[in-house]
Amino acid sequence: MTQLRYLLLISRQGKVRLMKWYTPLSSKEKTKITNELTQTVLARKPKMCNIINYSDHKVVYRRYASLYFIAGITPDIGNELLTLELIHRYVETMDAYFGNVCELDIIFNFTKAYDILNEMIMCDGSLAESSKRNILQTMTAMDSMDNHDKLDRVLS
Amino acid sequence: MENPIGSTKNTIKGLQLFIADLRTTQHSQDHEKRINYELVKIKKQFEPYANLSDPSSSSPSSTTATATTTSLKLDGYQRKKYVAKLAYIYITTNTSKLNELLFGLDQILNLIDSNHYSEKFMGYLILSLFFEHERIITLINHTRFLQRLLSDLSANKDDFTSLALNFIGTVGNLHSNLASNEEIVNSVFQIIRSPTSSQYLKKKSTLTFLSLLKNNLSILTDNFQRKQIWIQKIIALLDDTDNYRVTLTALPLVEYIASNIDPSYCFRIVPQLTDILYTCVVLGTKDSGIYRFPIEYKFANIPNPWLITKVVSLLSKLIAPPYQEIDPPRNMNKQCLHPSDLDPETLNKLRKCVVDAISLGHRKSSDPIERIVQNTVLFSLIKFAPKLDPSNEAIINSVNTLCLLLRSSEINIRYLTLDSLIQLCSDSGRVAVDTVSNENLDLIVHLMNNERDMSILRKTIDLLYILANVDTVKVIVAHYLNFISNMKQSSDPQVKSNVSVKIAVLIEKFATDPNWYIETSLKILSLTPDNSFHHDNIHNHLNDNNELWYRLCQIVVNNPQLRKLTCHNLLGYLVKRHTSEYIVKTAAFLLGQYPSLIVKQISIDNLFSIFAEKYYTVFNMTKAMILTTMIQLYKFEPNLVGSKVIKFFQLELNPLDIELQTRAYEYLKIIQISKMSGNMTLINTLFETMPSFNTKSNPLLKRLGGLQQDNHSNDSDIEFSKLTISNKISSDDSSKDAENIGPFNSVPNNISMQQPPLVPLSIKSRTAKNNRLPLPIQENNNNTNAKGLNNRYIQQMLTSTWKEGFTRMLQHKQGIFYSSPLIKILYRITHIEPYQIKIGFTYINQTEWDITGLSTEFIAAHIENNPEYIFQNIEALTSSNIKPHKRTEQNVQVVIRKPFNIEECPLMNVYFNCGSTSNHTTLKLGIAIISTINSEKLNSNTITSVTLPQFITRWRTLGTALGKEAECHVANILMVNTNETQERHNSIESMLTILQTRLKRIGMNIIEQTNVSNTLFVASIVHTKTDGNFGCLMKLQCQQDYTVNITCKTTLAGPLATYVVDCLRWIISN
Repeated sequence: MTQLRYLLLISRQGKVRLMKWYTPLSSKEKTKITNELTQTVLARKPKMCNIINYSDHKVVYRRYASLYFIAGITPDIGNELLTLELIHRYVETMDAYFGNVCELDIIFNFTKAYDILNEMIMCDGSLAESSKRNILQTMTAMDSMDNHDKLDRVLS
Repeated sequence: MENPIGSTKNTIKGLQLFIADLRTTQHSQDHEKRINYELVKIKKQFEPYANLSDPSSSSPSSTTATATTTSLKLDGYQRKKYVAKLAYIYITTNTSKLNELLFGLDQILNLIDSNHYSEKFMGYLILSLFFEHERIITLINHTRFLQRLLSDLSANKDDFTSLALNFIGTVGNLHSNLASNEEIVNSVFQIIRSPTSSQYLKKKSTLTFLSLLKNNLSILTDNFQRKQIWIQKIIALLDDTDNYRVTLTALPLVEYIASNIDPSYCFRIVPQLTDILYTCVVLGTKDSGIYRFPIEYKFANIPNPWLITKVVSLLSKLIAPPYQEIDPPRNMNKQCLHPSDLDPETLNKLRKCVVDAISLGHRKSSDPIERIVQNTVLFSLIKFAPKLDPSNEAIINSVNTLCLLLRSSEINIRYLTLDSLIQLCSDSGRVAVDTVSNENLDLIVHLMNNERDMSILRKTIDLLYILANVDTVKVIVAHYLNFISNMKQSSDPQVKSNVSVKIAVLIEKFATDPNWYIETSLKILSLTPDNSFHHDNIHNHLNDNNELWYRLCQIVVNNPQLRKLTCHNLLGYLVKRHTSEYIVKTAAFLLGQYPSLIVKQISIDNLFSIFAEKYYTVFNMTKAMILTTMIQLYKFEPNLVGSKVIKFFQLELNPLDIELQTRAYEYLKIIQISKMSGNMTLINTLFETMPSFNTKSNPLLKRLGGLQQDNHSNDSDIEFSKLTISNKISSDDSSKDAENIGPFNSVPNNISMQQPPLVPLSIKSRTAKNNRLPLPIQENNNNTNAKGLNNRYIQQMLTSTWKEGFTRMLQHKQGIFYSSPLIKILYRITHIEPYQIKIGFTYINQTEWDITGLSTEFIAAHIENNPEYIFQNIEALTSSNIKPHKRTEQNVQVVIRKPFNIEECPLMNVYFNCGSTSNHTTLKLGIAIISTINSEKLNSNTITSVTLPQFITRWRTLGTALGKEAECHVANILMVNTNETQERHNSIESMLTILQTRLKRIGMNIIEQTNVSNTLFVASIVHTKTDGNFGCLMKLQCQQDYTVNITCKTTLAGPLATYVVDCLRWIISN
């Protein structure tokens, strides 16, 4: 009963840049999924379908520049196109936050990338916020608090 | 484009340097070195704290204090930096270094304890990464952490609360420790219910609660009262119509409750959901018009597709799939609503949504994302459409729209179109299937033959399978055969065997012509790749193709009329140069069994030569089978092939394979023994003709996975599991395989002849999917208690002031049903038939604020097994929002089918939000058996003419005919005065007057007489729809102490008299 099982960001070189598991899986299973999907997805040609059947569930992926966004969804509960849109919305939001987001942004600011994701998706892949602006507002608020903390530190 | 917010100002310099450093060291050795160096460094930094905290771990609070307050070298910023470095190591090493990072756990917890937002944020974030590991969860599952979490949840600062919620919300369903903590659950729910929580926190807490609930259903199921109240509060969250932010998060939670706890709580929100959907799909997609959907909540120019799909998905849960042909009795299956339960307005709105989604699918758009979103909406609504009891045109329209999309240039769209078509065809049955196959079969076949993408190819094959029926099976099978014979060698062997299995199932299911069946079966066998070449000992799923020939052999053995034809055709294949392994196997088995059938075509001698030749081209498993065939040929014609067979076995005494050797040796011995004894008894006993198979299941169906359930229910009872049949076959085989060749008499003779699998030579009346009985009906236990009452009915707790409205409704045709400082409910009763009562409700907002999310629910005492009364035509509220001092209306009808007890009068729930509170009222409707007495037209001509002597005659007749069975006597009912003044109450006359008015209001006829001064004689007729009409005679005797004695006789034996008297007693004493 989980729509989104996991989300992986994998670079073209096959390095994991971000991963988030929404279902409890053993480390062994996670490694297996990561390795197998990296292989499968990287081998696929650009014109191929973005939806693949993988073990007992479906995998929806999409490539943005040098990064592959890979999501595992439960068939019949998760919706394939909607997952693509979810990925797109995530990328859009990061794009607005970082300004033309690239892989390096996600590497160096991994905490922010996670944070944006957590603001968007909670629980089992349920969307917590669909509005880009609202997420960005939250992020700004957080950043300003961050700055405030920093100022406190310098002054003390 | 607005300026990016993520500036570099907020970054941690040390961390950035470290990351950059790691990136320059591309060699894995240097990389490793750098990481280890850093780990040592961090460990050194953390060490003093570890030393401090470990010995004093008995008092965790002091640890915290030392760690945060003492001004040792490590301040919050540095702690944050080092922990972030650990997190980066964790990610970049792909979690493989987790064990070496555990030392930092204490510092992560210290970060969470910090009062600085940025530190707390980092602590929670990184803990949520680590929390994915069971080990970490057990390590930190102690009171210090849980206390911190709790205090953050109830913190004054929304930011801290939101961090804690985020943490629980993203990891809460990974482990049960959070969900089983009552305090955490309560604090999270507190945020949901509190009217002062911000929208931001509300939506976060909703999803957080969902993740806790998923892990621990007992949060809602253990405590009944909590279940009632909490679910109601949760449903109230849907009412966020301004921008649907909270609605969006509440939908998954409500859906989870509907599918895992109790859907009946959610039935009342169907009109509300419909409105949301209508607003998004119908109003929101129009560019013109008064209504404009807030742009911020649109995605690619379409109103919130997530909201739309979630509403549709919840509606699909609540509305049952259609049942054609069999009309399930109303209200029987309360696990779901039926389209007929929906009021016409809601149903029309939903249908309109589907229509608009379809036209949206036709809309041209240059933006690829916009097209995807359009199609998301289209697909989700088309999948939902069959539940709306659609007309044939509507189905055809949906199918045609989808078929257009099959030509889409976008590959994902094609994929999903196929997916939707498969579902639509299985849900909507014949109409959809015919529409697709009449107009688009060629297109689909073209797709199958030309599509290179495996995902799409599989779907195309599945779709064709769903389309197959008696009329189309030959065409489709021909296309399938053409497909597998043209397939390239390199392509996926699984696809090929998948198609083969589908053909085999289809021809067995729909074959009308035995020739065609046999020819096609053999053709598939000849085309199916043999996967056993990998090696015999790899018993993986690829070898399942064996089931194809197993099944054919079973059918041929069980159907003697097919044997000759099959053997003849097999021979045709055998004489060819290249013969598929499966054909050889089938031939070895069947020709060995029935050599007599082909002696006209070929001599046994030649047949032996053919097998001897094939022997060297096949695998060991097949070789073993051929050895058995040879001894069977020997059995048939010992003189003709005797010497050749013996020679062959002798040669095979020294092959490499031990099984073949054993088998050859043993067969040789058998021949020797029979030659010595001079008769064939031994051989004849050992190699008796195969008895019929008695397996009832078709193993091939198992391989179709979910597809078979969608479309073709199976004629053959699938009671045996796949295991049973493969066991059976392998035990049969094993005697041939020479594995257990020792006990020769173990030839299966225990096989009985019951129900062999028959080839359907005539089309039996097939059970189509659609007339399968709805399963959940039988689950009465969940829905009813011992008395057969609807569980939902028992669960209700009446609002304290219910009696007033109930009593009023029993007597008056209109009036105030309920009144509170917030809302007033008026009612008006009209009789359509004496037993069919229409109640019009008016809800009036009494406050200065808007009432929103108004919804009502009507609950009958019985919903199963021929209920006494039912609700009908429950109309939607004219509006679910009421402006201050305005009103909204609703009509509902009750049909009284049989007499019923006043205790079981219908209930009504009213829910609404006002201000920031959500409210709930449960009332009892004053609709009882006496409500059917009230009928003007009947009163006027039949009963009014009854005179006292007539009454007495009837009274006596009833007494002699039915005796005490149809009588009820209740004495000394104390009369309570409500409206009339006290003085008038003092005499029997005034009592009689009051009583008379009340009885007349109900519609009872009081016989005019002067003989007995203290008694009223009443005659009336009770009407019911199913049981008919009954006469009812009553004597009401008033006594000096303000009490009344009632005696009632009815023309129906049983409790009817008691029911009527109970109603009167209620009216008199309330």
